[in-house]
Amino acid sequence: MSESMPVEISPVYEGERIRKQDMYVELGGPNVEHKCELVLAKPMEEVEDGKISIVGPDLNELKEGSSNPYAVVVEVAGKMVEKDLESVIERRIHDFSNYIEGYMHLNQRYDIWCRISKKAFNKGLNSFKWIGMALAKLYKAEMPFIEKIQITFYTDPEKVKEIYEQALKIYEARDARARGLRDEDVDTFYSCVLCQSFAPQHVCIITPQRVSLCGAINWFDARAAAKVDPKGPIIPVAKGECIDPIRGEYTGANEIVEKRSLGANKRFWLYSCFGYPHTSCGCFDTILFYIPEVDGFGCVDRGFKGPTVNGLPFSTMATQVGGGIQTEGFLGIGMEYYRSAKFMQADGGWNRVVWIASTLRARIEDAIPPHLKDKIATEKEAPDIESLKKFMIERGHPLAKKLLEMEAAAKAEEEKAPAEAAPAAAPGVTISGLPLPAAGGAGGIRITLKGAKIRINQLIIKKEG
Amino acid sequence: MNSEGVVVSVSGKGGVGKSTVAALILKALVDSGRGSILVVDADPDSNLADLLGLETSRTVAEIAAKLKDDIAAGRFPPEFSKRDYFETRIFEILHEEEKFDLLVMGRGEGEGCYCAVNDLLTSILDTLSKNYSITLMDMEAGLEHLSRRTDRDVDIMVIVVDRSRLSYLTARRIRDLAKEVHIDFKRIVTVGNRVEPEFEEVVKKRVEEIGLEYAGLIPVDPNIASYDMEGRSLLELPESSPAVKAAKEITRRIGLT
Repeated sequence: MSESMPVEISPVYEGERIRKQDMYVELGGPNVEHKCELVLAKPMEEVEDGKISIVGPDLNELKEGSSNPYAVVVEVAGKMVEKDLESVIERRIHDFSNYIEGYMHLNQRYDIWCRISKKAFNKGLNSFKWIGMALAKLYKAEMPFIEKIQITFYTDPEKVKEIYEQALKIYEARDARARGLRDEDVDTFYSCVLCQSFAPQHVCIITPQRVSLCGAINWFDARAAAKVDPKGPIIPVAKGECIDPIRGEYTGANEIVEKRSLGANKRFWLYSCFGYPHTSCGCFDTILFYIPEVDGFGCVDRGFKGPTVNGLPFSTMATQVGGGIQTEGFLGIGMEYYRSAKFMQADGGWNRVVWIASTLRARIEDAIPPHLKDKIATEKEAPDIESLKKFMIERGHPLAKKLLEMEAAAKAEEEKAPAEAAPAAAPGVTISGLPLPAAGGAGGIRITLKGAKIRINQLIIKKEG
Repeated sequence: MNSEGVVVSVSGKGGVGKSTVAALILKALVDSGRGSILVVDADPDSNLADLLGLETSRTVAEIAAKLKDDIAAGRFPPEFSKRDYFETRIFEILHEEEKFDLLVMGRGEGEGCYCAVNDLLTSILDTLSKNYSITLMDMEAGLEHLSRRTDRDVDIMVIVVDRSRLSYLTARRIRDLAKEVHIDFKRIVTVGNRVEPEFEEVVKKRVEEIGLEYAGLIPVDPNIASYDMEGRSLLELPESSPAVKAAKEITRRIGLT
């Protein structure tokens, strides 16, 4: 087959872009509404191995320089081929198409953009059958569990539209399944140290239910990145034994945290803000902070400029959270984590959240459980702790009962010893009772330098006072 | 594919006319029929597209910001490759001209963490750039691009100077800082811009005094100002225009044409 193939098939063509000037035809892309690619797992008897079909005009029947609707459907069968593998197999269409000289392939699913170069066309790449043959051969070679494969190329506008609409439903179902993937369902987590140039001891542990702090890398992204660049910043983590399913402590995660944080941290509780919380780099989308006065959490995003309910703005808290230090009561988290069923699981989850900055709320409104929608305040209802307490009690927040008990106990205490009583947390004041990182002090500080180059003419360190 | 593509970067103090020099170098390259050219406008304070008579387009920065927004809002399908999506949107805003392609970077980072997005961007630009025999970058003024190592793959750094003392100091800083952050340009050259011919010797001497290679001078050229005013592309400047002649001489001297 390779002898008759008019163009070369090789990984050296990965990343090949075909300029408009050099292009023979365009398939999919921004100029056409309907385009897609789809892999379907089929029963053995429904797949005719090696069959390549073309529905609509073939490459040599398309007008030179035109943009065309385009759908590629790959049907596979085999004893090991399961529905769950469809998206993994589908992802390889991009890689394999890229091996074909003169065939540019960008993106995936309903957003593909392909071009055939004039040069390749003139060499004889004038039929989809060549692309089909190349793909079939590559699939069989690289994914030997595929026993039978047949590929259909659609360029007929009506047919493409039909396939496209059918494909959208399939993608949606897959997304729903992917969103439902739980940490329990996988053996591998990922760790990312992309941010270590800013926070040398920070390590992100990325699980299906816990996105990176920056929010940009989910478990699927990490899996793909680790495969593409095994020596890169993102590497797989064998989950190991689950020490605590509620707090989210895993032996494998602990080991990698210790190793990649250069010994600075040894344990992570992935679903808690206390004990051994996940560290933060400085990159986090949002901060979740403990409010001791009401024993609940507040959440704020980077875009919120004013003071939060505890009187501190995002920027001030960010300096406490960041730097790869475990700080109980403060956690940098990625936006998508608010949508996770594991969100602060050990600490009471959403029921523990009492305050959200309005800017953040606008972005994660969908994540708030319906029964809490009117019970969580923003800065509009609760600019400070006192108004927050009132709001919680009025609205019957799940923590209101405990709050009333705490208030009553404090009052009784106050009456017992009025002389000692400090004014009950004035509005805007806060972090009392929180284990903040000691500024100098007894424990000392730890500084980790990694690949550092420092030039100092003079450095003076003095004890104040 | 041209994996052996040359990356040329134009930098210098703000206001010395980097973009004009970049446009003139581009003209020299295009006129000499020097293969495929990718132009990257990485200077948010200028508009190379304007000088080349092209409509302004969306920028890479805008796409990055939207990508971040979509992710935060949970609009991004979990299994969809962010790199591929980002790459496609970037390809979409690429100006595909007859003789060259132009990518406009736009104004840098917004809020929040861009580590992951920048990491993707670096690899996307690397991939794209390998498809051209020359990548010509118009860098932003100042030195930040060096410390962010945006220039780490640059082969030839063209530093533009004028008659101001500050422009030489910037040139020297660019060279020194590159060394400090371990960027190894194969060649650093300086080009004088908007310098009257009678001052050429002075400029050359000053440049050589600070140990930099002098590659030539773009003279004051009234055509440039009038083309700019009329919104005409500098690529249409006549062959006889003094700046065009000078740019041809410079690219020849640098070994680009």
